[in-house]
Amino acid sequence: MPETALKKPGELIYQAIGLRKQFDNGKVVALRGLDLEIRQGEFVAIVGQSGCGKSTLLHMLGSLDKPTAGQLNYRGNSLPDLADHAAYRSHEIGIIFQSFHLLPTFTVLENVQIPMFEGSASRSERKSRATGLLESVGLGHRLGHYPSELSGGERQRVAIARSLVNKPSVLLADEPTGNLDSVSAIQIIDLLLELHEQLGVTLVLVTHDPSVAERASRTIQMKDGVVISDRFTNSH
Amino acid sequence: MTFFTIVLRSLTRRPVRTCLTLVGISIGIAAVVTLVGMAWGYEKGIGKQLDVVGIDVVVSNMSGGLMPKVFDESLEEKVAKLPQVSETTTVLMQMLSVEDAPIMMVSGREWGGFTWDKLKVIDGRLPKDGSEKAVVLGTLAAEVLKKKVGDTLMIEVEELAIVGIVDGQAMVENGTVFLSLTVMQEATGNEGKVNFLDIRATPDLPKEELNKLCEDIDVIFPEGQARVASEVVGTSQGFKVARAMSWSTSLLAIIVGVLGVMNTMLMTVFERTHEIGILMAVGWRRRRIVYMVLCESALLGLLGGIAGVTLGALGLITLGSLPGVRGFLEPDLSPKLMIIAILIAVVVGVVSGLYPAWRSSRLSPSLALQS
Repeated sequence: MPETALKKPGELIYQAIGLRKQFDNGKVVALRGLDLEIRQGEFVAIVGQSGCGKSTLLHMLGSLDKPTAGQLNYRGNSLPDLADHAAYRSHEIGIIFQSFHLLPTFTVLENVQIPMFEGSASRSERKSRATGLLESVGLGHRLGHYPSELSGGERQRVAIARSLVNKPSVLLADEPTGNLDSVSAIQIIDLLLELHEQLGVTLVLVTHDPSVAERASRTIQMKDGVVISDRFTNSH
Repeated sequence: MTFFTIVLRSLTRRPVRTCLTLVGISIGIAAVVTLVGMAWGYEKGIGKQLDVVGIDVVVSNMSGGLMPKVFDESLEEKVAKLPQVSETTTVLMQMLSVEDAPIMMVSGREWGGFTWDKLKVIDGRLPKDGSEKAVVLGTLAAEVLKKKVGDTLMIEVEELAIVGIVDGQAMVENGTVFLSLTVMQEATGNEGKVNFLDIRATPDLPKEELNKLCEDIDVIFPEGQARVASEVVGTSQGFKVARAMSWSTSLLAIIVGVLGVMNTMLMTVFERTHEIGILMAVGWRRRRIVYMVLCESALLGLLGGIAGVTLGALGLITLGSLPGVRGFLEPDLSPKLMIIAILIAVVVGVVSGLYPAWRSSRLSPSLALQS
């Protein structure tokens, strides 16, 4: 496994205070004054029914969207006001999506190299780092394949390798097992746990699957855009 | 994988659409190469002709269009008296439809004038004197008209004997029908009229003196203009019109090309909204996405430009061999024209990509991912 930018354990990574997000000129309110803290090294599962705002929250944490109101800090700095959102997405975090979001016209190896174009890695460095990561997620034999030639589980492994390629300290996963069969889902969660434990990455995972959530060390339950429970369930 | 791989991959994902766009650009660029190449070739041919004949100053009234208006031949006497003038000769030159040739340069030259000097007889002879009802043909003119010594040629209503074939040592000269000025004036009903007064200045006359000579002639002949030979092509109204027409027609073709590329790039950006969202989500900066879209459109332009230059070159070669054009002008397929055409194509590509690139950079990553 590659090295990651390890931070001091327990350091406050995310802090949300009164976080609100509304769409369609306020007709749809996804987050209604949410408060939250996430610390370095945690494995947090965010659970709740569809429409409770958990994916919206993950998009906020991933700087893919901005809150309508409230405060959201990353390591003490306001996330919506970051000077360079791309650098944050590229080097601080890795994101994994339910529908994988791989580029269909690029091979597995090329897909994993894509995020590295924002860094200073040379062509050979990009290739060797992507190859190493793909081998570590068990896809060393699939480097030249296109996403359409892979199973769902394999595609998600590619997405995981891609999310780790710039050595982030936080992994954000939006329903990573939502499109997978049960066997593949278990394998993906095992892989994420392994990465979390070996690399020390903070893992924030959105899911509606209780069996996935119970693997996390902390479970945050959301309903109607707010946190209704926050409990530590496991220690990995 | 390099950044160029990413750019290239997006163009090859829709090969039919990319090819159709390339065809659109290449047709536009081919039009530029062909039209401008013809205009430049025409200018170059005339310039070379003046050079070969050894003319220092040309007096004409170019306000009439491509061929100058006629004026009285008595002007020659007045001009010949100027101290800077060594030799003068008059010409009545017209573009006429001659038998099967739709357009041909017919040059009636003052018998004994220096414009006959550089004609090298390769078959037959020159007219015996200024009154002989005879013509000589440049080599290309003979080929185009399919005539030889001993045949006859109809100039307007006059049937004239072909007495010689000559090498004029310049494309325009070789494509010309030559006859004496008097016979030309009779055949075209322009007795006593000419439309060119060609002047050889005294040897080694400095440029300033040549300009002074032109000014002096302009005083004698206010309705016409005297030009130093090297400036005739650049200042002639007819050539300016021809150049403007070729560029304006080319501009239309270029605009069509711009719209084609812009349409393709917009479609590409719309289709790839989701992909652009992925690129943003994995940390690509907006400027890199803009750069990617611009590189794609510039590459489309470059490839279209190369194809267009090739197509245009074939067009020029084909046009240059047509009976109506052959001998009349020599298409100019210079490296300068090819480079300009390719640069235009690349600029067309970049300009066409600006709006799609801007649109792509305005996308919200979150919304783009949901598309």
